[in-house]
Amino acid sequence: MSAPRCAVGLLKRLASPDLTDEVVGDLEEVHRARLRRHGRVAAWCLTWLEALDMAIALVRARRREQAGEGERGGRSRRTVGVSWLDFKLGFRMLVRYPGLTVVGGLAIAFAIWVGAGTFEFVTQLAFPKLPLPDGDRIVGVRVWDASAGRVEPRVLHDFLVWREDLSMVRDLGVFRTRSRNLIVGDGRGEPVDVAEISAAAFRLARVAPLLGRTLVDEDERPGASPVVVIGYDVWRTRLGGDSAVVGRTVRLDGVPRTVVGVMPERYGFPIAHEVWVPFPLPPDVVALDGPAIRIFGRLESGATLERAQAELGRLGRRAAEDSPETHTHLRPQVVPYAGSILNLTFSEDVPAWFSWQIMSSNLLLVMLLVLICANVALLIFARAATRESEIVVRNALGASRGRIIAQLFAEALVLGGLAATLGLVATGLGLRWAYGVVEAEFIELPFWFQPSLSPATLVYAVALTLFGAVVAGVLPALKVTRGLAARLKQTTAGGGGLHFGGLWTAVIVTQVAVTVTFPAVAFFVRQDREQIRTQELGFGVERYLTARLELDRESVRSGGDTTRAAFLEYYGATTRTLERRLEAEPNVTAVTFADRLPRMYHAWNQIEVLEGAAPPPDARGHRVGSASVDIDYFDVLATKVLAGRAFHSGDLQSGARVAIVNQPFVERVLGGANAIGRHVRYVATEASREWSPGPWHEIVGVVPDLGTNTGYGRAGIYHPAEHARSHPVYIAMHVRGDATAFGPRLRAVAASVDPSLRLHDVMTLDRVIDDELRFYGFWLRLSVVVSCVALLLSLAGIYSVMSFTVARRTREIGIRVALGADPRRVVLAIFRRPLAQVTLGIVIGAGLTAGLASLTYGRVLTARQTAAVIAYAGLMLGVCLLACLVPTRRALAVEPTEAMRIEG
Amino acid sequence: MGTESLAEFELLVMLAALRLGRDEAYTVSIAEDIRRRTGRSVRRANVFTTLQRLETKGLVSTRLGEARPERGGRPRRLVALKPAGLAAVRATTEAIRAMVGDLGDVVGEIS
Repeated sequence: MSAPRCAVGLLKRLASPDLTDEVVGDLEEVHRARLRRHGRVAAWCLTWLEALDMAIALVRARRREQAGEGERGGRSRRTVGVSWLDFKLGFRMLVRYPGLTVVGGLAIAFAIWVGAGTFEFVTQLAFPKLPLPDGDRIVGVRVWDASAGRVEPRVLHDFLVWREDLSMVRDLGVFRTRSRNLIVGDGRGEPVDVAEISAAAFRLARVAPLLGRTLVDEDERPGASPVVVIGYDVWRTRLGGDSAVVGRTVRLDGVPRTVVGVMPERYGFPIAHEVWVPFPLPPDVVALDGPAIRIFGRLESGATLERAQAELGRLGRRAAEDSPETHTHLRPQVVPYAGSILNLTFSEDVPAWFSWQIMSSNLLLVMLLVLICANVALLIFARAATRESEIVVRNALGASRGRIIAQLFAEALVLGGLAATLGLVATGLGLRWAYGVVEAEFIELPFWFQPSLSPATLVYAVALTLFGAVVAGVLPALKVTRGLAARLKQTTAGGGGLHFGGLWTAVIVTQVAVTVTFPAVAFFVRQDREQIRTQELGFGVERYLTARLELDRESVRSGGDTTRAAFLEYYGATTRTLERRLEAEPNVTAVTFADRLPRMYHAWNQIEVLEGAAPPPDARGHRVGSASVDIDYFDVLATKVLAGRAFHSGDLQSGARVAIVNQPFVERVLGGANAIGRHVRYVATEASREWSPGPWHEIVGVVPDLGTNTGYGRAGIYHPAEHARSHPVYIAMHVRGDATAFGPRLRAVAASVDPSLRLHDVMTLDRVIDDELRFYGFWLRLSVVVSCVALLLSLAGIYSVMSFTVARRTREIGIRVALGADPRRVVLAIFRRPLAQVTLGIVIGAGLTAGLASLTYGRVLTARQTAAVIAYAGLMLGVCLLACLVPTRRALAVEPTEAMRIEG
Repeated sequence: MGTESLAEFELLVMLAALRLGRDEAYTVSIAEDIRRRTGRSVRRANVFTTLQRLETKGLVSTRLGEARPERGGRPRRLVALKPAGLAAVRATTEAIRAMVGDLGDVVGEIS
């Protein structure tokens, strides 16, 4: 494979014709040697670096040559390059203009922070590196089903064949993830993700255990005593960091297992696991049967991915010949391990462009950098304009336009460099924070996601800084140095000079619009959060203990029946038993079940009312939340039925299609009319908008608002349901005294009913929205930071434009006043253009805000919100006026004779 | 005009070119020879620049070899020492040897 085409092109462009063959040939030769030694990606990177190095050497050689010719020809040459003096001057400018330094620096630092942080994350996503010895040689093996267009996970049979016959991949093993109740000593179970995994995994990972041993092949043999290896965090939190833990017994879903080892901190192979047990190989495995598994292995020394793929392909073709009915359409593949885990299951080939497509998300952040640097450019332009005389004189004394541009570029680079340093420090801290938030609130990240900056990210940050310096330094420099010779005449004649052109007008209008829009988004997020947080339910939520009940379908085989119906039957019976036992507890007064609890997010459904519905807020119709609840749900939650009746056992009979709606439903959907006896049906759900209409349900009761949050208001419908018509369901019980203190007892009772019944999120009812609130809090903080940066930049930009505009017209103001013009009219004339720009920006921003509110949030601005937006716009205008005030007063105070002497 | 004195890296490049011979000495092989013998990481761009300088000084001459498939069908630029280059190598090594003198037991013998 040839050297990167662009690198070759670069050298061809820079090398003189007699050198082209040499430098390009050298690059090709070295690149091919690297391909053999280091692989494609490393070779590509190293060759690019070398090409850049050689390009610099060629440019220097050409300069030396030109300098030699210049000296020989006795001509003096104007230099264009950036000198240390420029950087020194750049530092001086930072001190001399502290406002610009702080505002511009913080803005660029923010852009670098967001840009570099995103780059690091998407790089880890697109080009993951396993932090294990020789981690790049660990591979995944998957089977692509060409007829179904998906990955076939039931390949245990094939795995057993490959384990014997595949020579290019060793330590071949399998795993699957199971959620299990880990019960330690006191009978209290808590769910953990368990990896059922081949012992080969630990040989492959080459990580020594902290205590005891890892799993070994003997543990997998039939009849071997059940063992478990635990992770560092589980050891610390669940087993108290007991140094004598090896040999202790714990139970996983009731099965006692001996702890044989503890793995060190951060070890999480195969994904983010903390408990490992031997993979139970069934005695007889037939093709395309058995559990869904994932396969891993390590490339044999000297083997490449391509050679391993070739060998596996041969085995796949052999299997297709031997068993055409099952294997004709199956294509086994060897793929990089992390890629095999990160859900690349939608395509036969894990395409190279896919990684680059992920990387392209960086472009958005580059656009943010451009926007921010365009703002900084505005400030630098205003600063450069105040130095117009200096620039013109320097040009007259022999400095070329290129030299002056280079100087302004160096000044922007100094600012950008300092900002980038700050931004990178923030990125390091921010990544740690963000990964922490994601793991605490959302999902456990795979173990190869590390919150540290890679060298590639540092290079990227440098590139961003250079790019930012070009935008912030070179663009204003080009503008300020245009027509220098003509301006020399104007300046010496005392005439006009620089003006903000159309580009800057666009920048100002855009930034004002963005500044109006961003805080509005933050406002909406905050409003949603407050609505959820402050919602009163009318009963003592802190006295209710809740939990989500989950059961593993595969662990339930009632009479050999593995259907979903049989599973739900068993699940229902289990929850009924749990209910009975809990009701027998002295501290529990009542127990109920529901598929959603009050104040949780409810999936929305689009509904239709038989007749007499109020007009919907938009063309998409009425959207309401729904929940299936026990018939005693409202009694247990001490909720008064406002009209009609509560559910009763007759509502559970087939054909009895009844519903209870809440007060917001009555107000919003029925316009406050009587709801009892009306009929309603679903016409589309959140999951599928193409759904055909469901059956009609009769409304038999109305209850107060219990918090059916959908993102489209609080209108909600309740349906009666037997225990566990769906899985999982939530349990809610009223407890005397401290409800939280009953948690351990609840777990113990659940374990006594069925050790495999897992209780998630055991908490009081007032805390069920904590996760949601944290999610909103995360977005709110992010929106506020972005808004503050936008506001800061915008105000600084407006101030500099105003100051600049007025300062440039000091002479005109003085003369007009001297000729008897009314100072107020003079001021108005000056303010007209900047005020028009700000007003236009505010109008566009307000339009964007209203559009966003309507499209994304499905609502229109209330009068109060509209007033808030207007007040905010007024603040912007106020700052704008303030920015004009100081220079205008100064201009009005100038004596006409002095004004005449001021440069135009 | 006296014999040209060589800087350290120039001397390394000249010695590598001398050792590799006129049919095998070119940028890539010279850089590799220096790296293998000295353990230094050598940038090929530096070797390229140094060879250009030495050629300008008249110490080496270069010619294009035959097109080679591993170079994408492009020839190598082969380097040969001119008599002045050989003299410069001798003079520089002689100067080093003279300066080491009786410090051999401190800095090691220079062969």
